[in-house]
Amino acid sequence: MKLLNLTNRFYIIVALTLLLVSSVFLAYRVIYLIDTETTEHMLYTKLRVEQQIIAQPQLQKVAFTIGDNIRVEPINRFSTFKVQLRDTIRYDEYEEGLIPFREMTYEQQILGEAYRISISQRLTQNNDLVSGLTITFLLVAIDIIACFYFLNRYFSSSIWRPFYKALDSLKKFDLQRGGKVRFEPSRVDEFNALNEELIKLTEKVNSDYRNLKEFTENMSHETQTPLAIIRSKLELLLQSDNLRPEQMEQVHATLDAINRLTKMNRGLIMLTRIENDQYAEEELVEIGALLQSRLEDLELFMQSRGLSVETVLAQDVSVRMNKYLADILVSNLLSNAIKYNREGGKLIVSLFADSLMVSNSGTPLSIPDHRIFERFKRGDSPDSVGLGLAIVKRICDHYHFFLSYRYDEDLHRFYVQFPKERRNNA
Amino acid sequence: MNILIVEDEKALLSSMTDYLTGTGMHCDTAETLEAALLQISNNDYDCILLDIGLPDGNGFKVIEAMQEKDHATGILIISARNSLDDRLTGLNIGADDYITKPFHMPELIARIKSVARRRSSTERKALIFHEIKLIPDEMVMYIGEKMLSLTKKEHELMVYLINNPNRVLTKEAIAEHLWGDHADIADSFDFIYSHIKNLRKKIIDCGGKDYIKSVYGVGYKFTAE
Repeated sequence: MKLLNLTNRFYIIVALTLLLVSSVFLAYRVIYLIDTETTEHMLYTKLRVEQQIIAQPQLQKVAFTIGDNIRVEPINRFSTFKVQLRDTIRYDEYEEGLIPFREMTYEQQILGEAYRISISQRLTQNNDLVSGLTITFLLVAIDIIACFYFLNRYFSSSIWRPFYKALDSLKKFDLQRGGKVRFEPSRVDEFNALNEELIKLTEKVNSDYRNLKEFTENMSHETQTPLAIIRSKLELLLQSDNLRPEQMEQVHATLDAINRLTKMNRGLIMLTRIENDQYAEEELVEIGALLQSRLEDLELFMQSRGLSVETVLAQDVSVRMNKYLADILVSNLLSNAIKYNREGGKLIVSLFADSLMVSNSGTPLSIPDHRIFERFKRGDSPDSVGLGLAIVKRICDHYHFFLSYRYDEDLHRFYVQFPKERRNNA
Repeated sequence: MNILIVEDEKALLSSMTDYLTGTGMHCDTAETLEAALLQISNNDYDCILLDIGLPDGNGFKVIEAMQEKDHATGILIISARNSLDDRLTGLNIGADDYITKPFHMPELIARIKSVARRRSSTERKALIFHEIKLIPDEMVMYIGEKMLSLTKKEHELMVYLINNPNRVLTKEAIAEHLWGDHADIADSFDFIYSHIKNLRKKIIDCGGKDYIKSVYGVGYKFTAE
């Protein structure tokens, strides 16, 4: 969830809860106030009735009513001081309906005579008032909350904009493409501080990466000549007539190690060359034809391991890339599928209009799937250097091919998808 | 065969010279561009081994000078692995082939012989070793008068062996010659073994001698001794 939505959601939940609580409180408060006000009003009426009876002798000792609201009747004997107060519903002729009333009934002695007096007061208006007030309050409050919500959204998004810009820039951060990040200055000190630290960090990452790359590059370049010297001297030594067989084997073992170093060296050089964009020449390479020719080259190896080979090659699939790299990509995938196959296993090569899949039988990996493309992560083949798939990965990254690996139904599947803009048939 | 080796790395230069001399070639050496240009103006060579990066200039000058002088000389570029552009430029301006460091010596010999043969107009194209005659680009071999056909790989192997007589050839060098970068896929030594077994059988069946000697644990030697 976005930070903005999160804070907004928090605000809204709190505001609505407060609104609900306070409107309930408001309603009760208004009801209470009206209620006391009504009772007070009735007490005042009570006082007025007494005064009227005292002031006007024609009202004494008779029963009379004033409107619907006041009824007075004389009674024989005063029996209680209790004032009965009750809310009731009564039929009202004018309104033609049932209407809530409050009724106050009491007995009182006025000038020595006892009377029973009932005073009633309509309550309808009070209820209307309560609901009217509450609704008005709710409307105003909701207006305010909505205003704050939108204002907050607007201001927050403008305040947070530099942050999102920085985030975007970081997302696009790519070491292999120069590793540049750009941040815009913000009014917020924290953001500026964050940006500064990020710039420092990315510069550090960049320089580390450059150093590492340079090191690999120099190392693999500079070792070529010493390797050539060692190998030539050893091969020369091998030709001596007076070597004993065990000495010869020692020379041979040393040569073997040199071979491994040489292969490693070549692999690393290739990785750095791809990274340095030194295979810039591109052309449309017909993948089907390339696969066919590489499969022919490797036929002997496949036969010797008793592999059953299935190929399904779509016609006319060409990809715009460097021819040499296309060859390396295809060869490495195929040789990997042969090398790590089981005796008598399957090798399936499927070329589709937009992708290539190479699958081979074999036992599951002993390393996590995603690490299969890392350098020097090799299987149990002692001759292998462990750079073949790293090179495949690098080539795919270079051309933005989508490369994936999965293992199912006893098959290791390597899948390369060619993006539209690099295909002839898109 | 006269060879000029242009290489500024002394140790590599000396082992190449020793190895090539050991196969009966005559070697002149040059460690600088200046020395190389002087050598080619004074002598005729069948093949020049040329390192492009020289201390006093670019080895391409040697190729250019050779273009003006003499077309019978083969030029083999010795390049670093990461200088693909040098190789392509070299081939474009008249070099015949290239080999990348570090290389196997027998491979170097095979390349030199192939380059020299392609360039020379006088020398017969056939490769001859005692009663064995091999025609390049044709998958056939003659044992005396008898002709026998070879598979592509057998032919490549035979050319390699005849070009490197009396030398110990490691299995790795042979595998790399035959299969290049694919050599490490699987069982390539077994394939070499079976190829050699077939070749031996074919040659012996045609009345030839068994010149392919096994060097235990190391590889093979093609020799009449």
